Formats: sequence, C-alpha cells, structure tokens
Amino acid sequence: MAFDCAIIGAGPAGMSAAISLSAAGADTIVLDRAPRAGGQIYRSVADSPLADVSLLGEEYLQGAALIEAYENSGATHMADADVWHIGSDGTILFSRDGETHQIQTREILICPGAMERPMPIPGWTLPGVMTAGSAQVMLKSDAVTAENAVFAGSGPLLYLIVAQYLRLGVKVAGLVDTTPLANYRSAMHLGPSALRSWPMLHKGLSLLREIRASGIPFYRNARELRILGDQRAEGLSFHSNGRRDIRSDTVFLHHGVIPQTNITRALGLDHVWSDIQKCWHVKSNAWGQSSSPHISVAGDGARISGAEAAQSSGRVAAANILTRLGRINLQDRDQQCRLDHAFLAKQAPFRRFIDTLYNPAPALSLPEDPDTLVCRCEEQSVQNLRDGFDKGAANPNALKSLTRCGMGPCQGRQCGPIVTGLLAKWRGISEADVGYYRLRSPQRLLNLKEFSRFHALSAQSDKEAAE
Amino acid sequence: MFTSLRRPSSSTVMVTINGQSVPAHAGQTVWAAMALAGQTVTRQAALSGEDRSAFCAMGVCFECMVEIDGQPNQQACLRRVTEGMTIQTQNITEHSGAQNHGL
Repeated sequence: MAFDCAIIGAGPAGMSAAISLSAAGADTIVLDRAPRAGGQIYRSVADSPLADVSLLGEEYLQGAALIEAYENSGATHMADADVWHIGSDGTILFSRDGETHQIQTREILICPGAMERPMPIPGWTLPGVMTAGSAQVMLKSDAVTAENAVFAGSGPLLYLIVAQYLRLGVKVAGLVDTTPLANYRSAMHLGPSALRSWPMLHKGLSLLREIRASGIPFYRNARELRILGDQRAEGLSFHSNGRRDIRSDTVFLHHGVIPQTNITRALGLDHVWSDIQKCWHVKSNAWGQSSSPHISVAGDGARISGAEAAQSSGRVAAANILTRLGRINLQDRDQQCRLDHAFLAKQAPFRRFIDTLYNPAPALSLPEDPDTLVCRCEEQSVQNLRDGFDKGAANPNALKSLTRCGMGPCQGRQCGPIVTGLLAKWRGISEADVGYYRLRSPQRLLNLKEFSRFHALSAQSDKEAAE
Repeated sequence: MFTSLRRPSSSTVMVTINGQSVPAHAGQTVWAAMALAGQTVTRQAALSGEDRSAFCAMGVCFECMVEIDGQPNQQACLRRVTEGMTIQTQNITEHSGAQNHGL
C-alpha cells in the first residue's frame, strides 16, 4: 500500500508538515538520516549529552516542544534512513542498517535542509580545518568541543557557536570576522524595514555584544585568509589592519548556508539562481510545490529562511498536499495558512537584511590562488579547472567530464557552487546562465552487498519496522 | 585539541581505532570517538595521498570516510560506535592498489 505522503528530513519543516498531515488523517512517513528527529538545528535537544543544555540558548531549547509534538503526531518515523533515490513515480529507496528499503507514496515533501556555503581559502583541505556547523554538530550530538580554536567568516551561525563556546567555558583563540565593510552600508538602507522583526534583530546584536564583552581577540573586516601549516592546520593568517597570524590546531570556517539541492537536482526539478542569497533554489510556488506537482519542498532546503520560517513553510506545504489528497478544500487550505503566510511575509524584510549584511565576500567564495583546491574529492585546483576551461569546457558538466571535478563521493556538494561561480566569472555571464552539474541517483555511496539486500515495504509493514 | 563536556552517566563501549583500544560512549558518533582519541586522520586523499580529516561533521562532505569492521567508505560522522567496533583510517588512493571498493 502506498503512503499518502513521504517526507524527507525531520527538521523543523518536515516535523511541522508531518504534524499537520497526520492531524488530517493522511498516512505519512518521515525518512530521516539522524537517530532522532530534530534536523541540524534541533539536533539532540531532546537527549542532550550536555549537563546544562540551556547554555546553548533559548532558540535551541524551543525545538524540544516541536520534537515532542511530532513524536506524538502519529506519523511513521523512520530514523537512520538515508534516502538515495526518489523516482518521479513516487518510489523512494533508502538505506537503513546496511539494507535497502523501498516505499511508494502519492505525494513527496522534500525538506533536505541547508549545508554550509563552501569557503575555499588556501589550505581548507588540511586536517584541523572544519566548518562552524561541524562545531555545532559535535557540541550538540556528542558534547565534543575544540579548545583554543579560531573561528573565521561571517554570519549569525558563526557568532552563535562562538557565544555557545564562551558560555560553556571553552577557550576561543579568536573570532576573525570577514563581513565586508561595504555590506554594513548596503544593509543600513534595509535596517528600518528589518526593525519589524526586532526580536530576531535583537538576538543577533546581543550575541555580538556577548562575544565582545568576553574579551576574546575579535578582528573585523578580515580578508586574504590562509590556513597556516603544510600537513595539518597550524593556524590562520589574515589581513585586518595589517597581516596577522593566530596559532591554533583547529580553524572553524563559516560564511552562510545554502540549500542542499542534490536530491531535488537528481529528480530533474527546475532550479533558479538567487542573486540575493547567492545560491540555487529549487523552483517552487507559494505552497512549496515544485515544477513536478506531486513533489513539494519546504524549509531551508528550499530557500534559506531560518527555523521558524521553516516550520511555517512546512505547514503551508502540508495544507496544500492535503488539498491534493482531497482531504481539505482550497478554502480550508487558505484559511489554515493565513497566519503562516503572514509570518513568512513579515520576516521577509529581516531575511533580506541578513542576506545583504552577510552577503559572502566574493574572494572567499571563489578562490583566487591557482593552487587552491576546488574539488576536495578529486583534488582539482583552480588552475586545473582553468586549464579545462581553456580547452573549451565552458559549462559545469563539460568541466566535470574533462577534469573529474565533481565526480568524487560528495557528488559535487562542495565544488558545485564554486564551479558555477568560477565559470560565471571567467565567461562574464551570470550564474543562472552557467547552470549546475546534472546529477543522478544514488545520492550516496552504495556497495553491491547492500544493494542485494532489498526490502519493499508497504504502509503497514513500515509502521511495524519503525517500532 | 578536542575535549568532551559529556555529563558522566552514559554507558561505555570499547572500540579499536587504528590498533589503539579506546573507550567510547555508547551512541557516540565514530568521528567523535576518533576526535577524542586524538586519531583525527580519517582518510588519505585519492590522488596526493595527503591526510584528510572530518570537515562538515554532518554527512555532506564525505571527508570522514573510514573503514569500519573492514568495510570502506563509511562516514565516521554518521555512524555510531558499537561494542568491539574496529575503525581504520581509510587508505584507498590511486596508488594503493585497492580495487573494487565500491567507489
């Protein structure tokens, strides 16, 4: 028996959608890669390994209530389920405990969440260089912290993890802020309209105040970043009122997040380039419906809007799916979504402000040093790609065939955005016109042994398996 | 250097990381166990053979692929430790002669 709806990802968007769908009686399954629901933002909030989880902040704690509501919603939850193929016919294949499982569904809601924008500075592949998101994940899941680390980049998530480290008494070697001065000027014009979302603005400002008050070394307007060390990271070198080096065995990088589009790309859905968020968005309407009517998207995997907006977009997509399933009429859908649509409209100016203020510095998005690796998996440098381009590979797929850039296990997740940007720069055209890699299933590495252990599950048997 | 702020109540399992027997918390990620044991090299890069380590810790970058109980290409940030697990830095490069590893 087919499910009414399968949701990929149990973050704020997926959980909120599942609650709405289940409440309306739709047979819903949620496939999530983590051991417990929550997504990256609310990861482990329900079973934190930390003694005092409140130090991670109010916003994080709020996730516990959502997880509880979701876990009581009646939706079938499939933990540790790594989805690697979605067919446009409603077939979904996923790995779980080393075995492949198959389900059928009428509607699909994809909530893959965000990933960090690649920050390819010289030395970014050295052991000891990680992302600020990784620091968050290690802290939330495993209570693991890095003593005396350097944090470098720009954006709210960078400041949040630094503040969390300081609250926990973890020594921080320094915060190297790369937000260009020009961004403050551009964002200032948007300030008044962003004030409508004062609580969110206030939260950001108090994080920065907290960091400044701690007295850790805090450098502004940093540029020309370079990791120190040959075999592994030994620190960060940068320019901020002169050349500076900070010695450390761990450097956390971050300059914003972008939607994870590998699943939606492999499905062949339309994508559009966002010049404001400087990333690709899967094309969707006000109800989260993609270019394939029975496939919807919600949350940061659709566009970057934050956890609260993700919940709204999840509920909106769910209401629309309920009309498609014939469970509610259009009038009910519109009525149900009034508050969520109003919230999404209200927070848009604030998001615009954040996007403008933390617009990534071009030199940190597109490497300038010819030796810097763009493709971490296949070890292709800027120079290798330039050589390929000079031989006539003018689009991402041609460059991939010629250089192997993007053919490694990450399937272009890291190099893809950089390759599009470099080609746009070299050709003097827009990212939208350059396009992106053509992607296919599977979305993860599979071995044949696993593929041979294959289980087709129906709505009923899945419920039992999940229990 | 990585340190743990974990509250002392969880149960412990023993795992072997590159021949070194270390305790780890049940349910902990393989990467966290490696980081705390100071064994941070997850794999060698495919062409240059240079050391690599976990980068994103959330399953996106595939830098943390290790061998677990003889099975290669396991993402250390996604897998969880179990009693008796054997974890090895992965050395599948153009020069290692390794074949048919599912890559």
